[in-house]
Amino acid sequence: MRRLRHIRVIAGNELHLMARDPTPVMVLVVFPIITIAFLSPALKPAVVASGYPHANGAEFVVPGQATMSAFYIVSLVTFAFFSEHAWATWERLRASQAGAGAILLGKALPRVALGILQLVLILGAGVVLFDMRSRGDLVALLPLIVSFSLCLVMLGVAAAALCKTAQQANAVGYVGLVLFGALGGAFVPYQFLPAWARSVSPVTPTYWAMRGMRSVILDGHGLGATTEPCAVLLGMTLLLGLVAARSLRFDEAKTGWM
Amino acid sequence: MSQPDRDQGGWIDPALRIEGVHKAYGSRVALAGIDLVVERGEILGLLGPNGAGKTSLVSIVAGVRRADRGTVEVMGVDTVRAAERARRSVGYAPQETGVYHPLTVRQNLRFFARLAGFRRRALRDEIDRLGGALGLTTLMDRRALQLSGGERRRLHTAIALIGRPPLVLLDEPTVGADVTTRSELLAYVRTLADDGAAVVYSSHYLQEIETLGASVAIIDRGSIRALGSLESLLTDHASSAVAFTFDHVPPELRHLPGVTIDGATARIATDSPAHTAARILAELGPSELAELRGLEVIEPSLEGVFLSVTAGAPAEMEPA
Repeated sequence: MRRLRHIRVIAGNELHLMARDPTPVMVLVVFPIITIAFLSPALKPAVVASGYPHANGAEFVVPGQATMSAFYIVSLVTFAFFSEHAWATWERLRASQAGAGAILLGKALPRVALGILQLVLILGAGVVLFDMRSRGDLVALLPLIVSFSLCLVMLGVAAAALCKTAQQANAVGYVGLVLFGALGGAFVPYQFLPAWARSVSPVTPTYWAMRGMRSVILDGHGLGATTEPCAVLLGMTLLLGLVAARSLRFDEAKTGWM
Repeated sequence: MSQPDRDQGGWIDPALRIEGVHKAYGSRVALAGIDLVVERGEILGLLGPNGAGKTSLVSIVAGVRRADRGTVEVMGVDTVRAAERARRSVGYAPQETGVYHPLTVRQNLRFFARLAGFRRRALRDEIDRLGGALGLTTLMDRRALQLSGGERRRLHTAIALIGRPPLVLLDEPTVGADVTTRSELLAYVRTLADDGAAVVYSSHYLQEIETLGASVAIIDRGSIRALGSLESLLTDHASSAVAFTFDHVPPELRHLPGVTIDGATARIATDSPAHTAARILAELGPSELAELRGLEVIEPSLEGVFLSVTAGAPAEMEPA
């Protein structure tokens, strides 16, 4: 009970901090909407050529840009830890009555919610603004969206654990966004990736998120088609959790910058 | 700083008991077997040069670092075996001012007070109490980023005092604070002890320890070099002296018992500095007196104790 209260209080504080500076959060929504507007018409021929003659491009570009920009959550998670070091509140937080688990969950859960909200908003904007026509029920994507957000947040925790400086974490976030987006088939349809890229694609969470989204939006499948992607994403989350648990040293001094 | 008292047939645990604490960072030994007891209502001034191990010790007591060996008990609770329970009795203000810059003073206090279990009316009352005690009442809606260094330092200290913890750890709490803030903080620390809290007060400012009337532990190179009340340390480790400064120190002064020469100054340790000064002045010839540039009577002081105990590492200290 006490632990739950600590998680709730820390999560509330994180929301306060995010509300004080919403710019990074806005990037999550504004960035993909801008890129979708430009890329949808441009990529329509590629989507049609990959076996979807009735697609207008948005059916690939909307989930592609949504999953790629969702990777920015990784940076937001690392910021959440490094800003504590920059404000010198990390030691203070650790000396509080909240245990390590409550601190981690309190910081992570608002970002999981943010990831879910971002993906739902972008998919919704795809329907409303870009005429994305899903052949399957978009509600079937909910477990996939939750699994993908969990995976990204855990990747952020692992990055925060492994990186010594905020600059390193920042670099990981941006390189990861581009690299995983490209390898995962979020930039261009998977079928158009070079063979070497296709062979490594499945190690990226983006690949599994895109595979699940394609199954529902372009192929018209239901919830069952997202089971395997969800399972793999949750498996990756577990693996990253183990990496984070092994690497995260709460008493480690890190260089944060604001 | 004493053995536990027997009270009504049972032992009362001290606020803090440290036994055989060792800590090393790689090959560098930070703490080499620290034993310390701080009673309730006592202020312990923790002194030492930079890198002596003060911050390591304080952060181990606060539970944010682990000792390699040894035990720490807060109000009788082991800080490793029952870490969360022990932390409930500790208020900790780390050396570096730690507050959430984007949040207001009230939001900072509210967050840490809620973590400490305060809710609703009790939460508001606690924030009001701390605001009043630390002079933050008019700053409640200001963001921490907009506070002056002294104001931020007061907020930082207020957070450590949420819930009136029986053990308060203040690691160099007045660094960067102006004279008024420093004076107010010292007065409040005294009040805390008078109300029964044990306070571990790490500082570089020797005068603050004297003002607080604190007992003193001088730590150097990971070990406690001196421990006791101010009076006992002055008796055991400090001596009075008289210092003469000349253009050139006369040869006859160089051979006096208890003399140390530092450049153009001859310092003579003595139990009666005024008498010794008068005797030496009478013995000096007119040409030597013409070269005399200054005379200082040095009374026993904490600074003298510190210099005597930490010989070789005094340069880090700031006497006032």
